[in-house]
Amino acid sequence: MITRQVFRDNANMMADGYLVKQLFGAGLQWLEHNRDTVNRLNVFPVPDGDTGTNMHLTMRSAYLEIAQLEETHVGKLSHAIAEGALKGARGNSGVILSQIFAGTAKALEQHERITAQAFAEACKLSVEYAYKAVEKPVEGTILTVSRHMAMAVEKNYQQNADLIVLLKRMVFAGRAALRRTPEMMPLLKKAGVVDSGGQGLVYIFEGMLRALCGKDLSAPLLEVEVPEKAESWEDALVPEDELGYGYDVQFLMRGSELNIDQVRRDIQAMGWSTLVVGDNKLIKVHVHVHNPGEPLNYAIQSGAALDDIVVENMQRQYEDYVQTRQIQNKAAAPRTDIQGVAVIAVANGDGLRRVFSEQFNAAHVISGGQTMNPSIGDFQNAISALPNEDIILLPNNKNILLAAKQAAEHAGSGKRVHVVPSYFIPQGIAAMFEYANLCDSGDCELHEVAEAMTSALSHITTCELTYATRDVDLGNVRIEAGQIIGLINDNLVTAGDDMALVAADLLAKANVDRHERITVYFGSDSSQRETEKLVEHLQALHPKLEFEIVDGGQALYPYIISVE
Amino acid sequence: MTFKKIRFITDSTADIPESLLEKHQITVVPVFVNYDGSSFADDEKELHREAYYNKLQNIRPFPTTSAMPPSLCEKAIMQVAEECDHIFIVTVSAKLSGVYNAFRLAAQKLPSDRYTLIDSLSTTTGLGWPVVIGAETAERTGDVQQVIDAITRVRDATRVYAALGTLEFLHRSGRVGWAAAGIGTLLQIKPILKVEDGEVKSLAKVRTFSRAVDELINAAHAHAPLDRLVVLYGIDIEGAYAIKERLKDIAPPDQTFIVRINPAIGTHIGPNGLGVVPVSASWKS
Repeated sequence: MITRQVFRDNANMMADGYLVKQLFGAGLQWLEHNRDTVNRLNVFPVPDGDTGTNMHLTMRSAYLEIAQLEETHVGKLSHAIAEGALKGARGNSGVILSQIFAGTAKALEQHERITAQAFAEACKLSVEYAYKAVEKPVEGTILTVSRHMAMAVEKNYQQNADLIVLLKRMVFAGRAALRRTPEMMPLLKKAGVVDSGGQGLVYIFEGMLRALCGKDLSAPLLEVEVPEKAESWEDALVPEDELGYGYDVQFLMRGSELNIDQVRRDIQAMGWSTLVVGDNKLIKVHVHVHNPGEPLNYAIQSGAALDDIVVENMQRQYEDYVQTRQIQNKAAAPRTDIQGVAVIAVANGDGLRRVFSEQFNAAHVISGGQTMNPSIGDFQNAISALPNEDIILLPNNKNILLAAKQAAEHAGSGKRVHVVPSYFIPQGIAAMFEYANLCDSGDCELHEVAEAMTSALSHITTCELTYATRDVDLGNVRIEAGQIIGLINDNLVTAGDDMALVAADLLAKANVDRHERITVYFGSDSSQRETEKLVEHLQALHPKLEFEIVDGGQALYPYIISVE
Repeated sequence: MTFKKIRFITDSTADIPESLLEKHQITVVPVFVNYDGSSFADDEKELHREAYYNKLQNIRPFPTTSAMPPSLCEKAIMQVAEECDHIFIVTVSAKLSGVYNAFRLAAQKLPSDRYTLIDSLSTTTGLGWPVVIGAETAERTGDVQQVIDAITRVRDATRVYAALGTLEFLHRSGRVGWAAAGIGTLLQIKPILKVEDGEVKSLAKVRTFSRAVDELINAAHAHAPLDRLVVLYGIDIEGAYAIKERLKDIAPPDQTFIVRINPAIGTHIGPNGLGVVPVSASWKS
């Protein structure tokens, strides 16, 4: 853990390898946190909703390369980053990102520390590399965003040789360029999004800036780019080629005397969206084709060793993307029949969404949760779509609270918006009971309702069962990634390999016998039958409690359990 | 003005404590509970309330309740008429039962200036309290109009609230409308019912019975200070005592009674239900 003070000290004299490594990690973390947002923006060159994932995989591969490295020489560290990124590059944006790091590494080769001037040079060369990675550079993409970010550094580094200041200028310039991407590329405008790769790049540097400023990297972003409202995004995304979007083919070629210029020419002749980068020992190939056999055969026949082959059916990804977005939009149609105070809640899973909308008449349920945090824009769109003047936002997640608050503060004129700060789904449901009791007759007052809903939040204990995503040391208990973990109000209290045992321990630790009612919301990965078996087991341990099973359908959490 | 000798007749849903019935010489005509192919009068003889609630869970098909035949009303009216100048007949809400109509028909045998028929627009002690306080007023004033005034004011100042332990009995009895859209939803609810304008309505819906009891306490507090209070129960007498204890600061102890609820209501809300019937002291002013 790096304290803010250390960052500051380092920042004043610019960065050494140690700091660069920390910053790179912060960029990765922030991108990871916002990965799904980036995925949702992905409509170019193929609307397959994977830009965030691809950039994240690329960043992670780069970070793994330096994670164990005790290197303070910036040049050497940058080289390792570039190599890792190239090896793990995924998709168009990932490959371009790897070239941004390749340019940086080249510029910093001889530098033990980054100075302001070296930083500016690195930015400049990165952009050159990035543009060269693409056969026909298109504006309104990650390229444009990277260029504007580099220009901001170029313009400022002489007056302000401070890393924080330069990063700030960079991020602001990146955001500004990002906002203009729909003007540059009509497809983005029609689809109602900003460029996904550009957004990913901004997130990476934003993460670095946040780390330098000592800000929390797990909190949601306050200034999300709000996409313009799409008119006919479906039409905008129909492939021009009647054969469809084809296949995305990626692989690494290893050899000793590879001719990258020759490979690039040959691959370009086979398809489109070609990216061929690397050197005479290692080449990363990325190409979109109708026949994936063609580039693969070519590579094998060239005598190079193939590695890390990825072939994706983009036509199917495109169809999935369209379907998912249609379903989301359909499910997300707001209700206009609610009189008086309306509620906008956030939930994921069909069952949970139905509880909010059908049982409690929430006017609108935004899809979202732990891994998919709705943006301020999502809230703003939902607010303006409702005819009601008085609106209550129910974020149902700690990470969504800030976005909800921002949206409430900036609600349009004529709207009065309150946030009831629910951290968990069961809290949100407890609040909805109050809402229903006060508002079912249609005659209720905003402040009064918000107050009653807020006071209901504390009546509920939320237990969750999920799987550990990484190894954790808890004092003398070690939890391995993949193990079942039990949380009470977000605090990890128990873990193990057997769901029934962990669930029983979780309830015991939650002191459930002091309560009356246990509701088990089972997730999309659990079935009614196995839930009934689990509840039977728990009921035997707590015969006096009332148990109830609800099909929540939520992702990631096999069980969310409310204790009241 | 001459002091009139006034007597009261009501139905068994009034849930008036035995001691008060005797003190005020109130006549009670029982309603009927039908099950096992027979009809049982709610008079603690044909039908013993405690025993009934203990077996309610297992009665198939589910019991129904019905008004008494007009002949029974007529018999009671004629008997009481011989002992007094004027009869007050106060009944359970006409929107809930045929009792009012049975008495209306039966009373036609009497000259219209010999009796006053009043719809309590309520049930259980929401009916019982107006009767008791009406009787007290009659004993004090002997004046029909003053009794009518007292009954009307007490009726307006009295509320009935009930918390259900489960929705099962409402379900089985078919009175699901009482919980207003609380059935068939995705999450189970525990409704709190109230009697208002002669009908049973939903006051609130909560998730746990302890919250439901809290709502009863809150509802009673909304009418404080109280002149009288009844706590209703089916079999959970401990729960009833706990409520009495929690309300002792707003209700005079000598005017607080714990009463087993009548089967006309208890059958629908279930034996584990609890209720409160507060009379706000405001009726006096």
